[in-house]
Amino acid sequence: MPRVKCEDLCPEWPCEQPEEFKNVWVYGEIEPGRGIREPSLQMLTPARKIAEKLEGKVVGLLIGHQVTAYADDFIKYGADEVLVVDDERLKEYYPDVYGHVIVQLSLKYKPEVILLAATMRGRELGPYVANTLRAGITADCTDFDVDEKTRDVLLIRPPFAAIMLAYIRTPFRRPQIGTARPNVFPLPPRDESRRGEVILEKVDIPKPRTRLLKRIRIEKREVPIEKAEVIVSGGKGLGSPEGFKLLQRLADMLGGVIAGSRKAVDAGWIPPERQVGQTGRSVKPILYIAVGISGAAQHMIGVREAGRIVAINTDPDAPIVRQADYSIIGDYREIVPAIIEELEELKRKGPKAIEELLK
Amino acid sequence: MAGYRVVVGIKWVPNTQAVRFDPKTGTLIRQGVPAIINPQDLHAIEMALRLRDAYGGEVIVITMAPPPAVQGLEHAIGMGADRAILVTDRSFAGADTLATSYVLARAINKVEREIGRVDLAVFGQETIDSSTAHIGAQVASWLGWPYIYYVKQASLSNGSLRVVRQLEDVIEEYEAKLPAVISVLAKALRPRHVSLLNKLRARTERPIITWTNKDLGLDTRCVGLKGSPTIVAKVTYLPEVPRLKKVHKAENPREAARWLLKNLLSDEKTRDLIARALWGEGSA
Repeated sequence: MPRVKCEDLCPEWPCEQPEEFKNVWVYGEIEPGRGIREPSLQMLTPARKIAEKLEGKVVGLLIGHQVTAYADDFIKYGADEVLVVDDERLKEYYPDVYGHVIVQLSLKYKPEVILLAATMRGRELGPYVANTLRAGITADCTDFDVDEKTRDVLLIRPPFAAIMLAYIRTPFRRPQIGTARPNVFPLPPRDESRRGEVILEKVDIPKPRTRLLKRIRIEKREVPIEKAEVIVSGGKGLGSPEGFKLLQRLADMLGGVIAGSRKAVDAGWIPPERQVGQTGRSVKPILYIAVGISGAAQHMIGVREAGRIVAINTDPDAPIVRQADYSIIGDYREIVPAIIEELEELKRKGPKAIEELLK
Repeated sequence: MAGYRVVVGIKWVPNTQAVRFDPKTGTLIRQGVPAIINPQDLHAIEMALRLRDAYGGEVIVITMAPPPAVQGLEHAIGMGADRAILVTDRSFAGADTLATSYVLARAINKVEREIGRVDLAVFGQETIDSSTAHIGAQVASWLGWPYIYYVKQASLSNGSLRVVRQLEDVIEEYEAKLPAVISVLAKALRPRHVSLLNKLRARTERPIITWTNKDLGLDTRCVGLKGSPTIVAKVTYLPEVPRLKKVHKAENPREAARWLLKNLLSDEKTRDLIARALWGEGSA
């Protein structure tokens, strides 16, 4: 008996049975002239996990102009196959144009799952593709699993208030589409010996309805906070933007970067790309030093994978104290300069000083 | 009507920042959590108002929500929106983003049929309660309109739209033929406050109308839970991450600093990291 009863479905949706669909696709976002962006390659990690449970293939998707050469990277990082649409008319990325290309490929090949990195471009492209296919999409997944009985993918994401996990499934529609933020999944190891098939596809390419007039690159000088080993992060408790200057000195001393809570970003003390938490970035430094941050669940979900958390806070009852490895209860204006001075002294004395300190 | 008709889609959300966790019972304290207009949607309203103020026309704010969301629409009128539409029906409950965008798109179609041509639909970048950023692109897909996300500046002329948008690595300028959909970059603008005069208008002129599914006439299989391809199969609490929870009450800053460094330097997770930062590679 067919699982999907057509008369129960919204007539705007196509009526298809899940068995018609197979394989797990990963959309490869291109950095022009450079290759596949790392967040897309990271999506090969959950794609492999899902494909193994569904006994399907991992297929990379490349769209653009002069992108065929990047198929090899997809394969070496773990794709079994790469589907390429390489066309001069795809030189510029427009979400509706690229979206229609993915839609046509999906209608032809019927993938069971499509994964995209939730970069800013991925976040605008994914829902357009999903909606045009009348398929479901789940944003910002932190894990994926498969219900082996129904072959439904469980798309796992933190919903409301950041302290719960929602298991989302899409029982009556395929493909099942999900996104995950950059650096939530690790980059799979590159394997030079991997081989795979590259399929060149031709599809209709609609005319773009928006026109790019100008593009200015924003130079990235600093390590993105997701990649930092040490993060010194400030919150509302800093009391003023000047507090971040002090945090920057501590971060410099430890070879780290500064970041902030949503409240610090809202106050304009630190730019949004440095926000840690549910509405900001998820980070996984070895050491996270939270200064004047109360530790709301929405913030702490962004540091779940930090190696060690240090809290500096005047309030012994702040939630962060229960969620940190080491907490100092005190005024950061005194504590942080003292830590910097102690570090400078250690630096001067050299590695031997450790033994002395630990005595 | 001279000028442009701009529709703004907003969401009435629980203020998730006000939700607290009860460590004793391990549950959410939702009681007394106030609902607000999704903060980023205020930026969408602000952008629409600026376009109207510059070029004429009208701003219509629209939301799909249960009736209490009318407070949010009153706020939008208070900011200066010309009218607002509450789209509400029991059958819309449990909608995922696809079913929500379907109702919004069909409501925009109804605005076009009954009020007049819509030139632009504006949304906030994403919501604080689910932060999917789906709705703008989905509405664009239903309507077949071009769309541009993360807009921080917009201008209109001769039936076309010009915008500046910002992504992680670039600032771009685009042009699009109207009608179009845009989403406004988070914190791009400074949303205006509610004015008393406008608020009074909300009381006297009643510029807020309600549409139910009687008015929209949508197939009930396409809305709410039934019209949602995604369903929440289950919800669990995130397991707590085990932490050391060592606490030092600082009597003296230097002594507190030494306590911390002693710990970090005897902790194998952080020891090498600190040594490397202080004395360079190989010192550990």
